[in-house]
Amino acid sequence: MSIMKQIEALYTQRGVRARELRQAGEKVIGYFCCFVPEEIITALGLIPFRIQGSQREPIDEADTLLEPMACPFARSCFNMALKGQYEFLDGFVAPHSCDTIERMYHIWRSNTPSPFNHLINVPHMMGPSSAEFYKNELHYFAGCLETFAGRKLDLEKLRQAVRLYNRRRALLRELYALRKAVPPRVSGTEITKVLVAGMGIPAAEHIDVVRAFIDEVQQRPAPRPDGLPRIFLWGNEIDDIAFIELVESCGAHVVMDDLCTGTRFFWEDVPETDDPFDGLVQKYLCTHCPRSLVPQAGGRADDLENRFGYIREFAAQWKADGAIFYIVRYCDTCELEGPDLKEYLTQQKLPVLMIEDDYSTTTMGQLRTRIQAFLEMIA
Amino acid sequence: MPFAGIDIGSTMTKVVIADDQEAVLAAHIGPTGVEHRHLALKVMDETVLSAGLSFEALDFIVATGYGRINVPFADKQLTEITCHARGVRALFASARMIIDIGGQDSKGIKLDGDGKVSDFVMNDKCAAGTGRFLEVIAETLGIDLAAMGDIALAADGIVQISNICTVFAEHEVTSRLAEGADVGRIAAGLHQAIATRVVNMTRRLGIEKEVVVTGGGAKNNGLVKAIEAQVGFAVLTPPEPFITGALGAALAGMDLFRRGIKPQRPRKREDVTFYS
Repeated sequence: MSIMKQIEALYTQRGVRARELRQAGEKVIGYFCCFVPEEIITALGLIPFRIQGSQREPIDEADTLLEPMACPFARSCFNMALKGQYEFLDGFVAPHSCDTIERMYHIWRSNTPSPFNHLINVPHMMGPSSAEFYKNELHYFAGCLETFAGRKLDLEKLRQAVRLYNRRRALLRELYALRKAVPPRVSGTEITKVLVAGMGIPAAEHIDVVRAFIDEVQQRPAPRPDGLPRIFLWGNEIDDIAFIELVESCGAHVVMDDLCTGTRFFWEDVPETDDPFDGLVQKYLCTHCPRSLVPQAGGRADDLENRFGYIREFAAQWKADGAIFYIVRYCDTCELEGPDLKEYLTQQKLPVLMIEDDYSTTTMGQLRTRIQAFLEMIA
Repeated sequence: MPFAGIDIGSTMTKVVIADDQEAVLAAHIGPTGVEHRHLALKVMDETVLSAGLSFEALDFIVATGYGRINVPFADKQLTEITCHARGVRALFASARMIIDIGGQDSKGIKLDGDGKVSDFVMNDKCAAGTGRFLEVIAETLGIDLAAMGDIALAADGIVQISNICTVFAEHEVTSRLAEGADVGRIAAGLHQAIATRVVNMTRRLGIEKEVVVTGGGAKNNGLVKAIEAQVGFAVLTPPEPFITGALGAALAGMDLFRRGIKPQRPRKREDVTFYS
């Protein structure tokens, strides 16, 4: 099977590999968001599985238990769980990433409990006491998971897991470097497939997939100059290609992102510290989800630079001509962060289009006019 | 050198033919039906005839509006945002802000010193703040849509309408009517509700003078006055607000033509069928 076909299969049939592994006697731990250290799960001999929703299936059963004004990503995930599509999970782990996910943990656990259920309390404020607090929470999580797994966490195995995941991070950064070319060597649509494909399989297997994909991309002839605008994408969970495909079909390249399903989950390495927990805390606590608050320092300009300086660098290095914010509706953290980020990027002369949308592919066509108008504007 | 612009909106199809001095040679408006392509061609034929030209003589055709992809004879498709800005630039050099109230969407467009789009906002998933909202409510009030603005302006007071969702506002209007409220005052309240919504949406871009109101909404005096009350100063309206987008499309085509972009196919009227 060609690498692209393999990625396509993993992307479209997300639970297949996890089910296979489970049949072979492995235990699969489902988790939400970018705050759960997969390294701990892997070091205990368990298989981490990132829970995603489906933008192609209507949310029906979940709406008998939830109000429709809740985050449609969370509702969609829960909808799939209610329909038995996550029946293969032996464990369910939610971080307190946002209030929706925190509450979702309780509702999920009441309605579709897994043999193992755990909520990780992740501090929202990146203050002086946050690291110590989060380290304690991670020890508590590891302890609960030890009991479930029936074995002790071996710190050497945890160090190995850290190295394994760092290897994947380095590979994904290598893949992203191919997007720096003008025009990019690889499309945003393909990148999304590669990333989402990796969320349902062990990291060691994903490493092979990404390596093979990079090799395939490097053998492609260099694309001809096309003068199309280059887009930086900011938002939350884009686990379906539909939106990025729409932007690219309007005549643009999506070249870089700050998304929960993109750089946010893999960009920074876990530092290899003596106590591996210290490294995990350093990486996972500073995940760039807008739910996390950086303590305000200095005046307005300093504050914006402190919070968004990394995005300025992303946009500059990947030569972005414009930024699109694609926010899944009712994501309060993104909606409240968006205006500040827009102000910051506009000051950097990077035009911004802010879009709020349902977590559904069927309503997406209506966005075409706005995207095209934006591309005409920055042309 | 004639250039044509065709704007297929949700309610109306508009065609403008302009010359290279940015003057309108002819303009036609027809209702957008179910069959966009057939109608696009019909309105185009009428406009070509009025201008005393032939279809083949058109140097460039740009299609815009939400039906823009259904114009097989256009040389280029551009969004209504870009075309409205271009049309307004031709009419009012001092314009910095456009509030467009169309049949099924409304938008705010900010222009830079050269009259180019620098930012925009759009309400395109909800009837609130659109012509459709006024249509629905006019029917509930039992008045003619065209007379609605004057009725509102003639009222000696206002009935506050708090619901901006079209369906809920209709319920609210029905309740106010049952309580015996004056139709004119209700109409005034509705215009205020729409103006507040649309202007607040536009405020996110930072409102600058001059503000131009376009689209079908600009034909409603009551609504224009309500918008002026919200922004705090007088706004401008084009002589024929419906055709701003089509005019802009024609002129955007002229700009492209001058930059050396030519139609890809020779233009022949008999080659155009609405099934192509």
